[in-house]
Amino acid sequence: MKASHWPHVLLTVTVVRQEEKQLIAALRERGCTVTVAKLADLAGVLNGSAPVPDLALVRNLAHHEAVEVTRRLATFGVPTVNSAEAVELCGDKGQQALLFGRLGIPHPTSYLAYDLDQVAERVAELGSAVIKPVSSSWGRGLARVTDAATMECWAAGRESVDAAGRHFPVLVQAYVAKPGYDLRVVVVGGEPVVAIERASADWRTNTHLGATVRRTDLSVPVRRLVASVLDQLGPGFYGVDVLIEAGTGRHYVLEVNANPEFARSAPVHGVDIAGLLADHVVARCSPATYRLPAAA
Amino acid sequence: MSITAECVVCAEPIAVGADVEKAEIVPCDACGQEHEVAEVGPGSVVLAAAPEVEEDWGE
Repeated sequence: MKASHWPHVLLTVTVVRQEEKQLIAALRERGCTVTVAKLADLAGVLNGSAPVPDLALVRNLAHHEAVEVTRRLATFGVPTVNSAEAVELCGDKGQQALLFGRLGIPHPTSYLAYDLDQVAERVAELGSAVIKPVSSSWGRGLARVTDAATMECWAAGRESVDAAGRHFPVLVQAYVAKPGYDLRVVVVGGEPVVAIERASADWRTNTHLGATVRRTDLSVPVRRLVASVLDQLGPGFYGVDVLIEAGTGRHYVLEVNANPEFARSAPVHGVDIAGLLADHVVARCSPATYRLPAAA
Repeated sequence: MSITAECVVCAEPIAVGADVEKAEIVPCDACGQEHEVAEVGPGSVVLAAAPEVEEDWGE
């Protein structure tokens, strides 16, 4: 960034929510020019009729849009806060399970299943399992199955809406009993900046489903897990979900989100996520103060 | 200062903040319809019905 050049940040969105409003304000407070772009507006940048930004912050709610935007911008030559590879990985729980398995990152036992028989086979093996669409969020589409009867219920519902089996594979994952909460760790750049417990009487602890949040310490095991994930994803803006198994205290990375929400939780934990992310964006626009880690 | 727009369903006036952004979600207090800001001009905004939540929306 030249002394006379304030960063031009492209904020790509599906819609603008409280999170994006806070980010826009924080970026402008730091002198950035912010252009808000829906998917169709990307054409202007890619085809040369709109100014080329220094960096893009991809906040598209629709996963297919986020993948499209990051891939095109990467090839075009505009860096994004989260890499295209990271965005693609974070939108697919199946890919994450495969990666964590290959690298030995603690993760609940998980299988990809391509038809109902394979799902039933894995549920029988695991005993208590969670069936998940590979790309879903906010707890949507998750089902806990514990025996042949609940498996039959899931299969019947699935068959009634997807007789041709077009929505496979699904992830069949061992159910991990939680102590009433899980952890969400927010990462900005290469550092975890806050951890919150998400507590719920339900087995799902998504805040979208009503889980309550409270700030907690970033323990050494949690920091280690997050670091092992960041080694693969690279720096960016992430929400890392960590399970702590009731009874054993064993820690698992459940999944990583590339578009974490923070507007509702920030007033509870008190960390200015929008401000920290804006600082990171400004630093990324300045080669003098920021250098991407060398490729592994 | 605010900008006044009109609900696309019930036509009630909606006050929109001057710092409104394109693609921002704006609800109608009268009927509950959510709008998306389609365009922002000097002293004016164009509202459209907000998009429905899609299967792959999320974090």
